[in-house]
Amino acid sequence: MAIPGVHLTRIGRGNFLLEPLRSLDIRLRNKLIEEVVAHMQQGQGKRLYYDLHTLPVIDQAYYDWLDTLARACQTVNITMVCINMQPTAAYALSGFLSRKPVFETALSVPD
Amino acid sequence: MVQKKESSEKLTALFGLKIGNISSQLEEVGREFFCADNKLMDEDEVSDLSGEFVNLIAAMLGSKDPHKRTSPQFHALESFFSSLAQRMLMRGGNVEDVVRYAQQLQYNLIAVLEQDSGVAFTQSRSVLLFFAQLFDELIMAVFRTYLSERENTLKAQEEELRETSTPIAEIWDGVLTLPIIGTLDSSRTMLVMEALLSRIARDRSRAVVMDLTGVKNIDSQVSHHLIQMVRAVQLMGADAIITGIHPEIARALVSLNIDLSAVTTRASLSDGLKEAFLRMGIQVTQKSS
Repeated sequence: MAIPGVHLTRIGRGNFLLEPLRSLDIRLRNKLIEEVVAHMQQGQGKRLYYDLHTLPVIDQAYYDWLDTLARACQTVNITMVCINMQPTAAYALSGFLSRKPVFETALSVPD
Repeated sequence: MVQKKESSEKLTALFGLKIGNISSQLEEVGREFFCADNKLMDEDEVSDLSGEFVNLIAAMLGSKDPHKRTSPQFHALESFFSSLAQRMLMRGGNVEDVVRYAQQLQYNLIAVLEQDSGVAFTQSRSVLLFFAQLFDELIMAVFRTYLSERENTLKAQEEELRETSTPIAEIWDGVLTLPIIGTLDSSRTMLVMEALLSRIARDRSRAVVMDLTGVKNIDSQVSHHLIQMVRAVQLMGADAIITGIHPEIARALVSLNIDLSAVTTRASLSDGLKEAFLRMGIQVTQKSS
């Protein structure tokens, strides 16, 4: 099943890798969240790795999208982990975050 | 009126002068200031310097308008003094030597020109005024170079100090340490953060131990930057551990209502390293004898 704007791949042991494409439109977040969660539930996913390596900056709008997706995943017992966050993005995001984000963070997908 | 006419005639005579080989007569000034005890130049260099100066001053006096401060001939002369000042400062000389050289050169030049041409330039107020104004501008160029060199040196020293006061070292595979020494201000915190985040991305580091043992003061803005730094490290997927918080800093953080509950803190750098190793599943044991 193809989800517009993202590339979702099963990487084994209940882990999925989500790579946002340039065509990702976060204004369609409700539809996107439903499709991502449905896809993961179908594949008995437990952990969603969201790859941020293509994003040099994360602004409030993009953070809201990540936060909403992470919360939706949490409600169905899926842990969302953001990986490969760029230094510039981490710097920008840390500037306006007032609390710990709902998603976890890691350098990359663990071996 | 007659005197004024006479003065301006002397100035015209100066501008129309065919300057011959007077450089050897000006070399003595260079030798006095650059070859004496300070040994800033050798004899050949002084000879070249005088030759170059004579060519430039001849071009300047022979130009369409020798009073013009935007002419290429004036700029060439200005560059000559700027580069001389730069060279002397780089060789350990001081600005005073170059300024005194320029002043002495002015007096000797007028005397030599008078001797060479037979016109009494030293008796002419307008000629003396012309040279005084010209050399004032050239001395200004020397001072501008001096100030710019000084500024560059200070900047370089500041940069070096900043780099040495925040050395980021990989103490173990994937473990970075950052001992912070001195006063943390906002601009320095930003620089540290930038360097640290880039290093985490480059080395794929999994833990960072920030040691504040050398930090004596912290204010509200800086403590927020510190928390922001910890948060940014965590967002990149690494663990951040703060160590060596002085009692005064702890008290300041409490009175500033800074919440450190999301930050791992340890008493000393060694405790911080132990915590980092623990999180990474590394165990360091003493070899049994």
